[in-house]
Amino acid sequence: MPERIIHPPIDSKKMKPPKAEIHLLKDQCKGCGYCIRFCPKKVLEESQEINARGVRPPKIVDESKCILCSFCSTVCPDFAIFVVEKKCEDGC
Amino acid sequence: MSDKKEPEAKPVAEEVRIGVYVCHCGLNIAGSVDCAEVAKFAATLPHVVLAKDNRYTCSDQGQDIIKKDIKEQKLNRVVVAACSPRLHEPTFRKACEDAGLNKYLFEMANIREQCSWVHLYDRPGGTEKAKDLVKVAVAKAALLQPAEEVEVPITRSALVIGGGVAGIQAALDLAETGYKVYLVEKEPSIGGMMARIDKTFPTMDCSICILAPKMSDAGHNSSIQLLTNSEVSEVKGYIGNFHVKVTKKPRYVTKDCSACGECAKVCPIITSNEFDVGLASRHGIYTPFAQAVPSTYIIDMNLCLNKDGVIVCDKCMKACERQAINFEMKPETVELDVGTIIVATGADVFDPSTLPNYGYGKYPNVITSLEFERLINAGGPSGGRLLRLTDLQIPKRVAFIQCVGSRSNRNGRLYCSNVCCMNTIKDSLLIKEHWPETEVYVFYVDIRAYGKGFEDLYKRARKEGVKFIRGLPAEIVEDRKTHDLWLIGENTLLQEIYKVKAGMAVLSIGLEPRKDADMIQRLLTLSRTQDGFFMEAHPKLRPVDAATGGIFFAGCAEGPKDIKDSVTQASAAAARAGILMAKGKVTVEAITPIYTVEKCKGCGLCVKVCPYNAITMDKGAKHIKVIEAACGGCGTCAAECPFGALTQSHFTDDQLLAQVDAVTEQDADKKAVAFCCNWCSYAGADFAGVSRMQYPPNVRIIRTMCSGRVSPKFVERAFAKGAAAVLVAGCHLGDCHYINANYQTKKRVEKLWQKMEQSGLDKERLQLLWASAAEGEKFANKIREMKMIIDKVRLEEIEKAKKVFEKALGGS
Repeated sequence: MPERIIHPPIDSKKMKPPKAEIHLLKDQCKGCGYCIRFCPKKVLEESQEINARGVRPPKIVDESKCILCSFCSTVCPDFAIFVVEKKCEDGC
Repeated sequence: MSDKKEPEAKPVAEEVRIGVYVCHCGLNIAGSVDCAEVAKFAATLPHVVLAKDNRYTCSDQGQDIIKKDIKEQKLNRVVVAACSPRLHEPTFRKACEDAGLNKYLFEMANIREQCSWVHLYDRPGGTEKAKDLVKVAVAKAALLQPAEEVEVPITRSALVIGGGVAGIQAALDLAETGYKVYLVEKEPSIGGMMARIDKTFPTMDCSICILAPKMSDAGHNSSIQLLTNSEVSEVKGYIGNFHVKVTKKPRYVTKDCSACGECAKVCPIITSNEFDVGLASRHGIYTPFAQAVPSTYIIDMNLCLNKDGVIVCDKCMKACERQAINFEMKPETVELDVGTIIVATGADVFDPSTLPNYGYGKYPNVITSLEFERLINAGGPSGGRLLRLTDLQIPKRVAFIQCVGSRSNRNGRLYCSNVCCMNTIKDSLLIKEHWPETEVYVFYVDIRAYGKGFEDLYKRARKEGVKFIRGLPAEIVEDRKTHDLWLIGENTLLQEIYKVKAGMAVLSIGLEPRKDADMIQRLLTLSRTQDGFFMEAHPKLRPVDAATGGIFFAGCAEGPKDIKDSVTQASAAAARAGILMAKGKVTVEAITPIYTVEKCKGCGLCVKVCPYNAITMDKGAKHIKVIEAACGGCGTCAAECPFGALTQSHFTDDQLLAQVDAVTEQDADKKAVAFCCNWCSYAGADFAGVSRMQYPPNVRIIRTMCSGRVSPKFVERAFAKGAAAVLVAGCHLGDCHYINANYQTKKRVEKLWQKMEQSGLDKERLQLLWASAAEGEKFANKIREMKMIIDKVRLEEIEKAKKVFEKALGGS
């Protein structure tokens, strides 16, 4: 449809993308960076800290951007990342 | 179809025997022209074997005389000097055919509209001019050639572009008649604008309730092939034989989809639904609305996480029991052969964010009438409750503002959009019906309730307490705390300033041509009016035909219209297309190009100027091929050809030059030679006659089908023969009957002006006029102006022009 969309949807409170809770098992990470590279929403980036394996694990930039596709856990060779849906009442 | 014809002007073996009939038309002609004298003069002209005058040549008796003479006197050319050929040429052509004479051997001299009626008080001048006009016609008649009309077969299938209500109706009608129809729709579902509207005026029927059965019929009809999410990418060919390529964008969901919606539930992507003008959300995999046809879901690949074949998110695939999701779908090109095309591409709506004074886009409670439709629709984002966007409460007072983007040369479009007044009246009644305590104000310029049942609805709205205030608000100001709106303007009936507070303002936005209309225009070689909508072949008598053969219009593509008019036009277009397909063949008027292959150098200029793409270049052989069925008959190719390899049948160079010569044989220095196109300027000259506008008798009009036929050498010949002035007249630019051929006219006249200036000639002597069929006064004024130019031209100037254009005296 060619019209310009000006107003936000009025059902935006009801229709929300799922909220994610990202779990990083930092010491299990070997710093390959796949999760960072393949995240379609660019939720992760490399952190400055050094983990037990002597590499920089990822850190979460903006958890609210995650839409739970779980591709990070699919591509992680070390099972060091997984995402669960944040079950919460109104207000999250 | 033939691309080779005999070279023109082949010596006619038989003796040319012309019969001339001068009509009195009662006193219409005889009142200011001495017809007997004209006939006497005609008899002295070369090849004329008999010349008669009679009271009514078009009467049965008049025609019988012609038929009898053709047989008994062995006439092989007939000239009738009477009214405009636009009126009675078909009559006399028929009479000739009845007597066994090819209809292309008939010629007319217009001594009524362009002589007796415009020189009512100048009998000697009128008579002299009439003689000249007959002489010109006889000169052409002597060179006329018989011609056969080409027959072209027509493929019995149709393409309908656009799946709104007009396209659906046209497709259903054609399918019902028994033809195969391809219905191409750009969006994922057919339905168009009507599917988005809540109720229809004036009957207040539920829009989707009456449309959905039709959509479903179109979806199930075995003769209709739906091509949704598809666009026409190429159209080749001509009337009856179009070859069309349609690009079908992938849906990523196969036909196995049962539209259960489980996929959408799990899709993590959420965005604004375009169908609801963004007022509701949808998922990345979606169906635009519940009644969509086809009901198959579609994936919005702009937002889907799975790009370039990498499956990042497979939630929809997992949810789909029927495994209907396929991310490997690719765009396909579907090739179709159709005989006719119906253009039902619809219209866009005006974008009011370009008008800062109404604050659309800035104040959330200012919405458009289209957004209103979605809000008041039970199937819409608010479930049919009219909610203010700021607090989701039902407003206590709603203001409608009319003519937003219409009828204004400053803010939007000049034309009236036809539907907004009634739409607002309907909307105001809907509010009153659901929430009687909500006040409704309508700010308008004029209320146009012109159709059947419209006035009743308007009266009902007033009775229900809707307040109509004449005068649009100058400005809308928002109360920052409550988000209420202040509408400030002048009530032009009471001549006082108003300041009205409303909870919501609805901008009644107008319709405008599709933003991609130029693409369709290019693909199908259509023309558009100044408004930007597609132009019909004739506004009164061929209102659904395009100028290009085999193409028809339905719905808003041709101009803003309501549902009823769109459906009416769609059925008309289907009927028109059906006529062609039922016949299975079409005849092409024999005014197509005559091609002399020996003279052709393969320069390709004709290919470039042809508005119909009817000439193709055979690069290897360095010559061209003319597709007669695609040819519109403007003759601009013949005017463009520098080598004389092309001329136009029935308007050959020889015939037109003979006409120029006949005009300029005597007293050329007192005459203006005028070339007028059949459709606009010649008709404008006729209109001047019908309106009895008087102008000086110095002009001699030579008719061509298009001003684009006027080759520079005709103009040069006129000057070389000593004509005082020349007029080239055509349709307004953009209004050409032959799409754009008159741009070539402009180019050629400008070149001639340049040449005249360089040679020290007064370029005033060559005039260019754009006059429509309604602009008789403009035409008459131009002739008055030309008379002054003629009077001004000195003898030495005429001699000089003769010398400059000396070359034009050679053969054609």
